[in-house]
Amino acid sequence: MINIAIKDLKIFLTDKKAVLLSFLLPIGLISLFAVAFGGAFKNDTQRPTDLMLADEDSTASSIALRQKLDSMKGLNIIPVNKDEGITRVESGKSKGVLVISKGFGKAVSSNVNPPLHLYYDPAREMEIGILQQALIPTLMEYVNIESAKQAVKRDISKNFQLNEEIMAGIYAKVEEFFASREGSSASKSMDILELTPVIKNKKASWGLIQAVAGVAVMMILFSVAAIGSSVLEEKESGTLKRLLITPVKRHGILLGKLLVALILSTIQLIIMFVFTWLVFGLNILIDIPSLLVMIFSTAFACSGFGVLLAAISQSRKQVESLSVIIILVMSALGGSMVPLFIMPAFMQKIAIFSVNYWSINGFYDIYWRELPFNEVFLNAFVLIGIGLVLTIISSLLFKRNVLKVS
Amino acid sequence: MIIVRNLSKSFGSITALKEVSLEIRKGEFYGLLGPNGAGKTTFINILSSVVSADSGSIFVDGEEMDMHTTEIKKKIGVVPQEIALYEDLSAHDNLLFWGKNYGIPAAELKQNVEQLLHITSLENRKNDKVAHFSGGMKRRLNLACALVHKPDIVFMDEPTVGIDPQSRNKIYDILQNLQKEGITTIYTTHYMEEAEKLCNRIGIIDHGQIIAEGTLQQLRKMDQSTESISIQFEKLMGEQKKELVEVFGETTIVNGDTCVISTYQLDLKLAEIISKIDRIGLNITNIDFKKKSLETLFLNLTGKKLRE
Ligand SMILES: Nc1ncnc2c1ncn2[C@@H]1O[C@H](COP(=O)(O)OP(=O)(O)OP(=O)(O)O)[C@@H](O)[C@H]1O
Ligand SMILES: [Mg+2]
Repeated sequence: MINIAIKDLKIFLTDKKAVLLSFLLPIGLISLFAVAFGGAFKNDTQRPTDLMLADEDSTASSIALRQKLDSMKGLNIIPVNKDEGITRVESGKSKGVLVISKGFGKAVSSNVNPPLHLYYDPAREMEIGILQQALIPTLMEYVNIESAKQAVKRDISKNFQLNEEIMAGIYAKVEEFFASREGSSASKSMDILELTPVIKNKKASWGLIQAVAGVAVMMILFSVAAIGSSVLEEKESGTLKRLLITPVKRHGILLGKLLVALILSTIQLIIMFVFTWLVFGLNILIDIPSLLVMIFSTAFACSGFGVLLAAISQSRKQVESLSVIIILVMSALGGSMVPLFIMPAFMQKIAIFSVNYWSINGFYDIYWRELPFNEVFLNAFVLIGIGLVLTIISSLLFKRNVLKVS
Repeated sequence: MIIVRNLSKSFGSITALKEVSLEIRKGEFYGLLGPNGAGKTTFINILSSVVSADSGSIFVDGEEMDMHTTEIKKKIGVVPQEIALYEDLSAHDNLLFWGKNYGIPAAELKQNVEQLLHITSLENRKNDKVAHFSGGMKRRLNLACALVHKPDIVFMDEPTVGIDPQSRNKIYDILQNLQKEGITTIYTTHYMEEAEKLCNRIGIIDHGQIIAEGTLQQLRKMDQSTESISIQFEKLMGEQKKELVEVFGETTIVNGDTCVISTYQLDLKLAEIISKIDRIGLNITNIDFKKKSLETLFLNLTGKKLRE
């Protein structure tokens, strides 16, 4: 028994690359995930987030609130009008829009709950939750202080007949006084902000979409990687050499592998979605053409990735370890494992380089945002582009790396 | 039919082939005999356009060959040294797959496949996975896959390594049939007997160079060593033994009633030997020739044994 263990240790240690990988890879992955997800749970100040703001009131108070929000660290206010904002949320382009409704100024001065609405995308609930936590104290403080200030000013102007100059002086002192009170906000009530989720239908849960789309893409990547590695298996078993002897065109070998990857992953994806439909009730019937286009483009992009893996590797062992690393990293970054919106903004920008991102986004577009075909197709278009680029790169590398047999 | 001129190939500092030139005529069965690492596989790989040569040229039917000439490729069948089959497919499906790569019409291909399964005695196992085949069966299938498109030219790289005599004889039968059909063959081996049995002409390769070439007889002549004849007599007396040594020289060995006579060019001197024995007045009961083999020639040419 011990003898076997010692022998295996010896064998393990002879492969320096494998040793390095088995120790460095976990460290690398931990760091990566820490960067990807860590930022989301720390204070928001490092991470400016965009918030649309529709000011329908346009009074001195609402403008002052807007300035105040604008001055908040980590918050980037984008002025919009209400309808435009809600449309953007609906189409998944923004997470939410804060609406200062008409009567805000009046409500503040008469000390009643002011009309503040946050329309948001429930698929990004987590993100909105974080935003809300940052927003509510500021709103509360502003509203409370402003109400109190206005009340004092009103009382002074009602009870004393003073000339303009003195009045201005007193007002300035009042301002100064309240300014010193900032930060010590009064009682907190969450209901200062009325939250309205923006959704068209309530049938599909975003969790379900995330589950099927996220897992689907990752699994497809694993299965195409296996097909890619079969090229190297053929190299090792000698059948690739035999193929080179036949009149079969060299790029035909690669395209053959691409085709089989495409066919198998298309079938796999169809099965996954039909299963989710039958068992979990994801209504795939709402837009069959979009689904098929997304399935096909996802399968194509993944297949391109599969042949690329084969083309950059020297041996089957190498493809196998390389594919695990690349797929894990890409899936983590691209939103397969954890929804993208809880990652820091810069991570989300990196995500666009992954197959997962466009694919998952496309499925959200179909089932969550219920976008029309032409908007869903944008994702498919990018995926097909990725697939083409990967295939071209692969066929160039393939000749250099794989077809060298002797 | 096949002309090879000054073919050279190096892998880094290793010279696998050095200025190899050959001419192989139509219908010829050419044997390339050489020890491990001589450059046989490299030569076949270049001829089958899998590996490119550093320099030199190859002409097939008067047409210069490069890596992409599909027309030439269609005429050639190659049996690789390693077994290159899809283990998870059946024998039948393997043959079908390789045949399809040559664009043979379906009906014709079907016929070829059945015929080859018959010839290689794999008929009753044709639907079994290759993974479950014995080494000899795999070898036969490996050979059949190279013939499925009915090539005019066949390159075979040690097609009989590691199999039992029965499977080997089966393969010899197939090869001799190919020869009858007039198929041009280049056959590499390090088995002397194979080269002697199968080939019209033999090239001996060592360290990437052809060091001798010719028919079996021509090669034998090149061998400067002696041949011997072993003669068994009815009864040898002491006197007669002495006389034999006197007549046939110092190298003659007498052992019991047997006498081994060694000489150059035994074929020319045989009649003379018999008449001398007759003159001594001895009765012969049996004669055995110890012919020169390629083995000794090889030893003479390279200073080493073929299989070492
Ligand atoms: N891809 C390669 N890289 C480096 N050296 C190689 C390569 N292929 C062949 N060689 C070298 O070239 C020489 C000739 O090899 P080759 O395989 O042609 O010999 P062979 O005659 O077929 O031997 P065997 O009877 O063992 O099959 C050997 O020294 C071998 O090590
Ligand atoms: Mg060899």
